[in-house]
Amino acid sequence: MMRLRKGLNDRLLTWKMAGGVRQTIADILERGGRNVMVVLGFIIIMFMILIALLAPVLPMADPTELTDELLLPPSSDHWFGTDENGRDVFSRVVWGARVSLLVATLAVLVSMVIGIVLGLTAGYFGGKVDYIITGTIDLFWTFPPFLLALAFAAALGAGLFNVVLAISISYWAGFARLMRGQALSMRERQFVEASRALGAKHWRIMFTHVLPNCIAPLIVWASIGVADAITIESSLSFLGVGTKPPTPSWGWMLQSGMLHLSSAPWISTFPGVTMVFTILGFNLLGDGLRDVLDPRMKGLRR
Amino acid sequence: MADLVSYVIRKLILAIPVILLATLIVFLMLYMTGDPINVLAPPHASVEQMDALREKYGLDEPFYVQYGVFLWNLVHGDLGVSVGAATRDLEVGDLVVQRLPRTLELMAIGLSLSYSIGIPLGIFSALRHNSLGDRSVMVFTLLAYAMPSFWLGILFMWLFAVYLGVLPLGGTTGGFASIILPAMTLGIGNAALTTRMMRSSMLEVIRQDYITQLRSRGLPEREIIYKHAVKNAILPVITVIGLDIGWFVAGSVVVETVFSWPGIGMLITTSISNSDFPVVRGCILVLALFVIAGNLIADVLYAYVDPRVRLG
Repeated sequence: MMRLRKGLNDRLLTWKMAGGVRQTIADILERGGRNVMVVLGFIIIMFMILIALLAPVLPMADPTELTDELLLPPSSDHWFGTDENGRDVFSRVVWGARVSLLVATLAVLVSMVIGIVLGLTAGYFGGKVDYIITGTIDLFWTFPPFLLALAFAAALGAGLFNVVLAISISYWAGFARLMRGQALSMRERQFVEASRALGAKHWRIMFTHVLPNCIAPLIVWASIGVADAITIESSLSFLGVGTKPPTPSWGWMLQSGMLHLSSAPWISTFPGVTMVFTILGFNLLGDGLRDVLDPRMKGLRR
Repeated sequence: MADLVSYVIRKLILAIPVILLATLIVFLMLYMTGDPINVLAPPHASVEQMDALREKYGLDEPFYVQYGVFLWNLVHGDLGVSVGAATRDLEVGDLVVQRLPRTLELMAIGLSLSYSIGIPLGIFSALRHNSLGDRSVMVFTLLAYAMPSFWLGILFMWLFAVYLGVLPLGGTTGGFASIILPAMTLGIGNAALTTRMMRSSMLEVIRQDYITQLRSRGLPEREIIYKHAVKNAILPVITVIGLDIGWFVAGSVVVETVFSWPGIGMLITTSISNSDFPVVRGCILVLALFVIAGNLIADVLYAYVDPRVRLG
């Protein structure tokens, strides 16, 4: 583990970034590496990402191929058994990881971009701009993301990018609140003032001075956000408004496996366990980093 | 007290734009699903028939007029009519009201369950800080939080209904026994959050000077903990009960679907699969109102407990 961390550190140091960012990330790695939760979460996430990336080259059955081998229990041929259509459950779980991680990461990225832009603008400029944007943020913040996402997903119809869109529209408010708070506290700082005095443009100050100083909480939120997004995506798929079958999706697999719960429990069990494992990984990383970096952020999640 | 009343009124006024946003979102939702005429009209309907239907449902009006009409009807308690095959032309409001008691029942029991698990567990954990027991509780909260409710529901179903056979699989025919599994599924995720909050709140309180002072006066430990510490530590946990309603509203959709519990959540799912979007819209709007009410309760409780909030 130590070597891994050191290796990462060296790599990061070669990036051409503002000193603040480089330092923050080095700091996160340094302190995070001593926290059990962070390390465990990181290992789980890396494992899942690796599996998801390698899905096309792993020697597995086609996840959508229908065969005559219906409802076979786990064996050396089919590690996780087969489902009611004779598809290999292991291969579907692995491909499902790809879908889940892709949807969740994209959704978090999109909501992060919306949140950063709106939150920074509101916090940095203040006044009327802040009033309007904060009003909007609070409006969205009121509703649980799942409820909003359900409404949008139902309206947009099933499909991978519709789900990404539905989750992003519902999830950005958290990032925006965070960024606004950070920008508010940052804009009175001397280095920002100095930069302004030197004639730097607003957007330059926002993105090269304010933003890099918010990296740590953003990473925490993004990690917890991915866990939430996986939960939302799989719940939507479970309800039939997520990704479209035959795209392998954990939520959908659990839904179809429910009918065979007593005769073929493996259809639901394996995707379910993998899903919890993945969500747990992101939660561990996020919670652990939050505890390490800023104990004051405890409870922000609610 | 007067300042509390004015605070409540201020909060009520601030809730209006939130309610408007909720109506706009659900209205847009239906608008985005495309021309509802395809669901409404019988197959092979003529153009005239379709136009007649459009006029009947006001679909020939521009967007803002339709939204205005929707709002106007809403103020008069009219949520529109269902377009589903089985419930064609029934009032959405009636359908929702019919299902409402079931959802409320489930949420009430789930909420009490989550508090009766979370609070004792949090106290236990805090009093044995960093012990094996505390660590086990923390692992439980991590797992419970990572568990999507539909997967937990399926596990419970398998364990208690299929394997042990002691509780009904779903539906409402089993009387009170039927509600246990759905309520447990709904409550546990929130119980995990409550445990964590109670634990950290308790940890903060028992380190304060007045507790040490009570100890130095020689009060029995039991009395210190239960009469003084818990009383103070529980306040921040209880005040967020309103925010928990949001969690339960969102969770109820999934849990009701898993256990075929005939509440609003299940009505949403079945209506989505029947493309009965006016009903989906009505249900989501009602759930959103729940959330808004929950937030109001949280704000008011918080202001009641902490006067600085209402004066600030």
